[in-house]
Amino acid sequence: MLKVSNRKVTAKIASTTYKANGKRNLLTIFALFLTTFLISVIIALGVGYWTTIAQRQIRMEGMDYDVELTEPAEKQVEIIREMDEVKYAGVAVKCAIVNTYEDKKLDKMRLYWLDDICWEHQTIPALEEYTGHYPEKENEIMLSGTALRSMGITRPKEGMRISVTYDTLAQENAQADSAGEEEASASTENTGKDSTQADTMHAGEEGIRKEFVLCGWYTDYSGNNRGYVSEAFFRETGVKQTDLTQGSLKISLKNPLYTEKDIIRMQNAVGLERMQIIEGDYDTISSFLKMSAVLLVLLAMIFASGCLFIYNTLYISITKDIRYYGQLKTIGMTSRQLKGIVYRQALWNSCIGIPAGLAVSAVVSRLAVPGILHMVNPTVSAGQVTMVSGWSFVLAGTFALLVNLLSSRKPANLAGEVAPVEAMRYVAGMYGKKKGKKNKKKKMQNSRRQAAGDHKKKKRRTAGGQSVVWQMARQNMFRDKKQAAVIFLSFIIALSIFVTVNALVRGNEAERILEKTMDYDIEFKNETTLDEDERQLITEEKIQKLKNIPGVKEVRKVTSTPAVVPYQEETYGEYLKEIYETRYSPGNYEEDMEQYKSDPSWYKFQSRLIGVDEEGFALLNEKLGNVLDEEAFLKGEIAVSPNFFLEGDAGMKDKTVHFSLPEGLHPEKEETVRIAAVGEANVNPAYFAGGYIPELIVSEAYAEKLMGETFTELVDVVYEEPFSEETEKAVKAVFAGESAVSTYSRLDRYHEMKTSENQVKVLGGGLGGILAVLAVMNYLNVMAASVQARRDELATLESIGMTVKQTKKMLRIEGAGYALLSIAGAMIIGLPLSFLAFQAMNVYFISFSIPWSGNLILFGCAFLVCVTAPVIIYDRTQNASVIERLRDKKCL
Amino acid sequence: MEILQVKDLKKYYGMGENQVKALDGVSLTVEQGEFLAIVGTSGSGKSTLLHMMGGLDTPTSGQVFVAGKDISALSRDELTIFRRRKIGFVFQSYNLLPLMNVYDNIVLPIKLDGVRPDEAYVEQILLSLGLMEKRNAMPNQLSGGQQQRVALARALAAKPALILADEPTGNLDSKTSQDVLGLLKVTGEKFGQTIVMITHNNEIAQMASRIIRLEDGRICGQRGDSAGEEKALCKDGREVEFHA
Repeated sequence: MLKVSNRKVTAKIASTTYKANGKRNLLTIFALFLTTFLISVIIALGVGYWTTIAQRQIRMEGMDYDVELTEPAEKQVEIIREMDEVKYAGVAVKCAIVNTYEDKKLDKMRLYWLDDICWEHQTIPALEEYTGHYPEKENEIMLSGTALRSMGITRPKEGMRISVTYDTLAQENAQADSAGEEEASASTENTGKDSTQADTMHAGEEGIRKEFVLCGWYTDYSGNNRGYVSEAFFRETGVKQTDLTQGSLKISLKNPLYTEKDIIRMQNAVGLERMQIIEGDYDTISSFLKMSAVLLVLLAMIFASGCLFIYNTLYISITKDIRYYGQLKTIGMTSRQLKGIVYRQALWNSCIGIPAGLAVSAVVSRLAVPGILHMVNPTVSAGQVTMVSGWSFVLAGTFALLVNLLSSRKPANLAGEVAPVEAMRYVAGMYGKKKGKKNKKKKMQNSRRQAAGDHKKKKRRTAGGQSVVWQMARQNMFRDKKQAAVIFLSFIIALSIFVTVNALVRGNEAERILEKTMDYDIEFKNETTLDEDERQLITEEKIQKLKNIPGVKEVRKVTSTPAVVPYQEETYGEYLKEIYETRYSPGNYEEDMEQYKSDPSWYKFQSRLIGVDEEGFALLNEKLGNVLDEEAFLKGEIAVSPNFFLEGDAGMKDKTVHFSLPEGLHPEKEETVRIAAVGEANVNPAYFAGGYIPELIVSEAYAEKLMGETFTELVDVVYEEPFSEETEKAVKAVFAGESAVSTYSRLDRYHEMKTSENQVKVLGGGLGGILAVLAVMNYLNVMAASVQARRDELATLESIGMTVKQTKKMLRIEGAGYALLSIAGAMIIGLPLSFLAFQAMNVYFISFSIPWSGNLILFGCAFLVCVTAPVIIYDRTQNASVIERLRDKKCL
Repeated sequence: MEILQVKDLKKYYGMGENQVKALDGVSLTVEQGEFLAIVGTSGSGKSTLLHMMGGLDTPTSGQVFVAGKDISALSRDELTIFRRRKIGFVFQSYNLLPLMNVYDNIVLPIKLDGVRPDEAYVEQILLSLGLMEKRNAMPNQLSGGQQQRVALARALAAKPALILADEPTGNLDSKTSQDVLGLLKVTGEKFGQTIVMITHNNEIAQMASRIIRLEDGRICGQRGDSAGEEKALCKDGREVEFHA
């Protein structure tokens, strides 16, 4: 067979066709540009966002490690450091507690010593910033932002003298302290509460006076009232890293995805002592898998959206192509040559659209976004926020090219499949699956019924041909079922991605995390509570002042007093036995019980009676799942106990407790109350703890009945508008100058997080914005392509009497139909998906809520685009005379 | 009574040396019930004239009166409404809507006017044009002749005062052409409609009651009942040939 040289003519036809289809190719180029741009920017922003969120999470923890070994011996530290799977292992030891700064009482500020590894590799990465250096000399101290604030130091300076009184945590000094310290520090991180037992023991103790020199300070998001001290000071305190709950080895693993088996292997290798444990989160793998699944689904949806975006644009204009290729086929062009033409055009479109998309996305993700991030968070240098390497660009470009080439084959293949004449007469939707007989029959029946009905009716005008316009609009939407399905799928996916990402971004807002982890805006705590000379600093007058401040929604008063609870086998027998089996065991069970039975007021087993007002009851009941009988609670018939050390109710629920109040109206009188519910530690609104017997939370009215005047330990204030600066200022003024009242504010914590929160917001907002653009552009392009492709048909309709007004109405109805159906689809698919994704990534147990405002704005935009874009495109493209437009049809 | 009046109609394309005069001062009148054929070679301006008469295209100058109304003064939408009520178009390429069946195509202009179709009348047209059996068929299931008959039925269905047919047999074989033309003439007479048809086929034109010949955008001859005799007006002096 002779070789026929026809490459030139094929190229010529391709080039002529390409030029002739200028407007349509522009739409395709636009689709390619946008897809490439959006995918690479979404990946860039997504990676940046993820990194920022992960970093914030570490900063909220205050230290970056995977598991920790408690009370590590030197030998054990060595063994762990030599393990292959261990990246770093740093020692941290809590060695002292600062009680006062100058004359100001402090809310238990803990002092830690960290070794070099712990400081350099595990602490510095978790800090937003730090000034100065880690303490080297014995009297040097480094303080957290929260600690400085609690001391009232607003302008710290290196070399500043810090006069404090402190207690060491040396075992012989405070053996019982250890019982709650560790859990207390864990709970503080999230709740700001510190229901530790330790303070009980410090009551009335004389602290050691010392003048430290401030050598540095730092900001993290943990809200921990903490300081770091030198090794010399640590040695001086007498605390050992093997002291119960004081010392720990923070272990960073090379592979942070570990199982319980890995931990057991590690435990066996180091040989744990009786009290030691390796603490870790055994859900890391399942959490990782859940998160990965969500991210993969989202990524797949983003790619699918991009894919459908290009495919839609090409598919909609397929009719003309098929007719045209049919014509070429009639004059002797082979299917292979047709494909050649198609690929050439697709490549030309790609050559313009893809590099343009990549160039703009490079500018946005490499210059604009880092620039904006640097503006909102100056601690991040522009270089640090260059978020993604080239792989995302390569991925986006290759993807767009492949989708374009594959989608473009469709017209050529179709033209190749059908006979040339059939191809010339091709109408979208006519060559789908054959309609069933049933449909055909139904259609004929409808037609006849319509004919018969119409015959009987006299000629009369309906509302300006409205019904036929609606009918045509409906018909047009579903004329090509496959196309309609692809369009809807594309819209629904684009909207669903937005809805999902929007929910995730919202769930990661610092405000919401803080709202979840703190159930008040500010807490004022009387630091004299456990002192022998306790003073009623939070008076009724001050509480009233707080309530009168505009913007204050709720003031919850928490009162407390020591309670003596004699040994009661039925109520506490099981609980006490279980306590002695834990690592927090107070000592020897038999000996202790003997002493407890003989001296019910022994401090080790003292409890506290906590009084909560009506607002406090509402919150308590909510936390317990609304199981309490309000009337019984208010009357003082029932109480609630938190179980700090154990899980479950340990046999205390529904048991009666006999107790007396040494500071009550009748100190010797035995009172009785039933424990109606046992909750977790966080149900306790009080801060100061007693001994090992759980607190009894009762109504304030009942407490008053027993006490006469109750002692207010703290007040929690909730604002009408959370994080309101104005309200906070007025509220803080009520206790201004009161050195023994400490404050813990949600707004202060938020301020600490603010710079990185701005980063999170820029990235999250950018991500949401880009996805919204993708969704809206998808609508815009599809609608534009749809009108463009139906140019001839619209001209025909006008020639036989369809007015411009009617045409526009038809287009608007179609657009509204697409918008409403796809929005409904996004609600059905997107909302459950956003819930699943949210739950899979819900680190802080925030309750799911639909970000309606963002979603509704996008839905509104999509609707608006759908009803306006086709009309605008129609106006811009259909302004030639009818006959000119009809002539165009004949030309191609 | 005059149903159509064209006054000094001009349509120029381009400027200066490249200017093309598609119509160069055409004036004519058509009486109600008349069947007028406009003939001429390709590029003579006959299609342009027909499109101007139907308001599908706008003239450079001149006026078109249909049923006494100056259609060149109407807005785009007014013109469309006027067209669907007063004028029925038959296009050479049928211009049927591919996704509507025969019946829906025929009644569409009526429905667009917000009027319920006169079913008896539509049925009569369907019967006259032999389309009764095909009323539920889709356009792509029809032959060219059948499609042209559907286009004709659509033009007749709204009972327009004027039917404008643009080479209605241009895509049809001679037998089908004769059939369609016969039907056009018969139904036009039957329903009292005025027909203006353009064709380049003299034989087809003979079926009209009057014939006008167009050349270079000007009327160069006409023959018919009202004229009484043939006139040879072409500028090159060539005798106008009206016979097949």
